Amino acid sequence: MAHFQIKDLSFSYPTAKGRKSLDGISLSIEKGEYIVLCGKSGCGKTTLLRQLKSVLAPHGKKNGEILFNGIPIEKVSQRDQSAKIGYVMQNPDDQIVTDKVWHELAFGLESLGCDQKTMRARVAEMACYFGIQDWFHRDVANLSGGQKQLLNLASIMAMQPEVLILDEPTSQLDPIAASDFLNTVRKINIELGTTVIITEHRLEDIFPYADRAIVMDGGKVIADDTPRNIGKLLYEQKNDMFAAMPTPVRVFYGAEGSGDCPLTVREGRTWLSKTYSEPKVNTLPVDALDEEIEHPALSLKELWFRYEKDSPDVLRGVSAEVPTGTLYAIVGGNGAGKSTTLKAVCGVCKPYRGSVKVFGKPIEKYKAAELFGGCLAMLPQDPKSLFVKKTVREDLCEMTKDEKKIAEIAAVCEIEGLLDSHPYDLSGGEQQRSALAKVLLTNPKLLLLDEPTKGIDSFFKEKLATILCKLKEQGITIVMVSHDVEFCAKYADMVSMFFDGQMLTTDTPRRFFGNNSFYTTAANRMSRHVFSMAVTAEDVVELCRQNVGAEV
Amino acid sequence: MADAFSKCHPAVNFLFFVGAIGMSVVIQHPAYLFAGIVTGAIYYLLLNGKKAWKTILSLLPMFLVLTVINPLFNTLGVTKLFEVFGRKYTIEALLYGAALASMFVIMMLWFGCYNKVLTSDKFTCLFGNLIPSISLLLLMVFRMVPNFIRKTQQIIGARMSIGKGISETATTKEKIQDGGTVLGALTSWALEGSVVTGDSMRARGYGAAKRSSFMIYRMTGTDWILLVVMLVLLGVTIAAAFFGQFVATFVPAIDIAPVSWGLAAYTCYLLIPTALHIKEAFQWHISRSKI
Repeated sequence: MAHFQIKDLSFSYPTAKGRKSLDGISLSIEKGEYIVLCGKSGCGKTTLLRQLKSVLAPHGKKNGEILFNGIPIEKVSQRDQSAKIGYVMQNPDDQIVTDKVWHELAFGLESLGCDQKTMRARVAEMACYFGIQDWFHRDVANLSGGQKQLLNLASIMAMQPEVLILDEPTSQLDPIAASDFLNTVRKINIELGTTVIITEHRLEDIFPYADRAIVMDGGKVIADDTPRNIGKLLYEQKNDMFAAMPTPVRVFYGAEGSGDCPLTVREGRTWLSKTYSEPKVNTLPVDALDEEIEHPALSLKELWFRYEKDSPDVLRGVSAEVPTGTLYAIVGGNGAGKSTTLKAVCGVCKPYRGSVKVFGKPIEKYKAAELFGGCLAMLPQDPKSLFVKKTVREDLCEMTKDEKKIAEIAAVCEIEGLLDSHPYDLSGGEQQRSALAKVLLTNPKLLLLDEPTKGIDSFFKEKLATILCKLKEQGITIVMVSHDVEFCAKYADMVSMFFDGQMLTTDTPRRFFGNNSFYTTAANRMSRHVFSMAVTAEDVVELCRQNVGAEV
Repeated sequence: MADAFSKCHPAVNFLFFVGAIGMSVVIQHPAYLFAGIVTGAIYYLLLNGKKAWKTILSLLPMFLVLTVINPLFNTLGVTKLFEVFGRKYTIEALLYGAALASMFVIMMLWFGCYNKVLTSDKFTCLFGNLIPSISLLLLMVFRMVPNFIRKTQQIIGARMSIGKGISETATTKEKIQDGGTVLGALTSWALEGSVVTGDSMRARGYGAAKRSSFMIYRMTGTDWILLVVMLVLLGVTIAAAFFGQFVATFVPAIDIAPVSWGLAAYTCYLLIPTALHIKEAFQWHISRSKI
């Protein structure tokens, strides 16, 4: 008997005027399966997942049937659903209810009215399994995002669910915390046999291990197969979702490889060495970096900063020069001080030593109106912190009264259709672009972006990249802080590594990632033994093509 | 090193402070007051380390002021020292003031200890069983306040970096308007967050069954012994009150009961946390020197 049996499920929201968010979905999910649900933002993934748990199911018109262990889901008692179907959401912070780690772990068990003995045993068990014992007595407020999300997972696992549903659980985490989290989910699936249904942007980490991948588009299931076959199918259909596939898959089909499609970096390496054992062309041209930068848009000299008098220094002599009209990316670990650097440029943080010069003029010499009116602006990490009004249009009107200007910027950011929605009703990528529009209305010549790709899918990332390129053409200098090495490798003109409060190395992305062996893109890790300086999937495909051409 | 008494069951902690603070409200007998100040100060020092001296010394001027003020309002008493604005300033009233000031100091000291020992999670844990929904509500409120502060800072920072910060030249009206905007943004953000929190609670069965409450603290043998010892000492002290051992009147004439066994019981009671602390430090020292 299938664990979940979905029969011809359709659903539409009351406000959607008959447009179906889910359209005739039929699926069967077996016990112990690991299923990846993928699709563009707004394709109905979340709506579908929420239908699998009655308390979370949104209001609306529903047709069809969902059976859980053979029983219609509505007939399964609240208690059973709470215990047996675990649901992890996106935002690590808001999901947490209590103030102590131990209490959060026990929350579900308390709700079910378990007795002390059972609770004690289960909580202890979970704390050990998830490695939480070291921070068991801590305040929730002092945890990192990754720890918070792990706590949410542990707190659900304490109820010993049969199914674990995860809705983009790592979208707010940095890559290291994200892969930690996803490994834990995989461990749960393998060791405990818990059925896992997960949606994710970061397919790289989970795609190879999934039993099945289900692709949705416009509320319909368009593919339901093993990950290997899905790659092929999407390539043949020329589907937008192909861009979200792991690098090895994209390289394989891009280079029109034959045989079994590689899914992991390891498989990709094997495939490359088999196919291109002695490549005639093995490197890509590398542009040299200009040592002398004339008229830098931004120059930082020996910045030192700490948040409190007695706390350690966050910035420890940051120096950098950003050439005008480039996209400059700063990469580096969590808490290294990247975001703080941007805040120092904006004057939100005041360094106690060093100087910040914007277009050659020290920042103290600017008046606030002069600096932020047509010179400098920053897009914060959480776009929500910029929304203060009821619709996107009103929010944009806060910046300027010029209707024409708003229309123009809205066109650049491709948000014309969203102007009358409430900012909170938009998806992550849409929020990001609306916030960007608001920032652009200040006419900045120097634009600072803090983690612009956080929580947005590959499709929206490409859209963002197009927008950034357009801005660059208009002569705007962009400084971006990011964890997303793939994005930086593909679109940045210069990349700097931030470590231990300093800017350590700066180079062109090709040389920067080409010379790194750990902190680099999947494409580079996959291809470095045959090709050098290939840092994006496109680079690797290009080299493969050249070699095929050379053989002929 | 963590304090030994703080590691006891919250019920033991709570009962102790109810006893200590409750007694300090009714007792005016100088010997008892002295015992209260000394024991309170010692434990406060043990809990907070060297920097606690500052707090304790800062209580001294307060003590003096309270003492000196009392005779200005209370002119009863037989031994006149001098006259202020034509009113008597008497020794009895001065001593009475000292007694009242001591009561105040004792309360400050024990409340200081209480704050350090009985943290909010212990308190909710203690009363969670009686009123689960209210204690959960309190918990969530506790969590909300720092969250709000953080988000407010985030919004203000974000607005500053697009030139929407409060400029130096802003008028009061502009400042208020800007504050209103931030508050509005904060409210919608918080509402959005609370929807997720609500979902997360219901997803984990909130309201699906009668709630129980997870007790992270367990009553151990030591806790029971302590509880019995405390109750006995407290009982003896209360008995002493019935025998009139607490009697101390200052005005109009000084009449103080002689010191008796009641004081011993009271002092022992107040020394319990200190004794536990010292005992553990001592044991630790011995076991370390054995290595």
